[in-house]
Amino acid sequence: MTDREQYTPGPASGAQIRKDGERWTLILVRELRHSPEKVWRALTEPAHLREWAPFEADSSLGTVGTTVKLTTVGAPTPHVSETRVTRADAPDVLEYNWGDQDIRWELEAFGGGTRLTLWHNIDRRFISMGAAGWHICFDVLDRLLSGTPIGRIVGGEAMKCGWRRLNAEYAKQFGIATPNWPPQAAQES
Amino acid sequence: MKIKVMSVYVDNHEKALRFYTEVLGFAKKTDFSQGPYRWLTVASPEDPDGTELQLALNENPAAKAYQQAIFQQGQPAAMFFTDDLQADYERIKARGAEFTMPPTDVTASKIAMLNDTCGNLIQVTQLMRW
Repeated sequence: MTDREQYTPGPASGAQIRKDGERWTLILVRELRHSPEKVWRALTEPAHLREWAPFEADSSLGTVGTTVKLTTVGAPTPHVSETRVTRADAPDVLEYNWGDQDIRWELEAFGGGTRLTLWHNIDRRFISMGAAGWHICFDVLDRLLSGTPIGRIVGGEAMKCGWRRLNAEYAKQFGIATPNWPPQAAQES
Repeated sequence: MKIKVMSVYVDNHEKALRFYTEVLGFAKKTDFSQGPYRWLTVASPEDPDGTELQLALNENPAAKAYQQAIFQQGQPAAMFFTDDLQADYERIKARGAEFTMPPTDVTASKIAMLNDTCGNLIQVTQLMRW
């Protein structure tokens, strides 16, 4: 079996929700055994993003003030968003929008590696879905940085790889109902 | 192979969901999001596992131009069928919808046309039986 076939995500962990009325922000923290500089490249360079992120970028996200087109991977119809990089303090803080959502990355040197924190203001109805998706993306990122890439796992691929369990686990942690997706009848037992 | 989903473009997901559920009386069927992308469909409570209508956010300039043109020409973006057009007309009108055409006899059917407030005309059709 390949590493990808053997991959199963661990339990939901490292996530918090910050609530500002109806506006919720997902905060996900992961500790990676790689330097902030290396993680920064993976967060900003299209060739690296292609290996783990849920979108394609048509140019680097590493320069403040630039406009980058992000294409959502795995959406049922092509979905391209114009993104504005609003902060790019390498290798510490990166901020940009993804459609009408804001994304902020913070990288802190930590025990020889990086403590990576993501803030993403996903609509609260979909926030457990987003947490589950990022969880898997971070696992794939960790393997990529370790030199043992297993290939991007997003969209339908993620659903085959434990996404539904993670979605349910994060929904429970956040105290929200599990969104009905995919419809019950279409699920494996 | 079946016809399972058709789409209408809408200018705002929340407004469209309110109109298609609270005014027209459909029920939300599937609501899924991936990043900024959202897949939202409604279905008829009379046929909950039947054909779904996707409320697709119109962010595409070409699609916007097409949508405006057919709206101005008075062409419907979608067509629903009913067994009692007059009753549905009264019900939907009472909930505040604007009809651009009241129930009207045409060949082999009676039709009415309403504005979905999201950029579309919707035709409601009752086939004549004889």
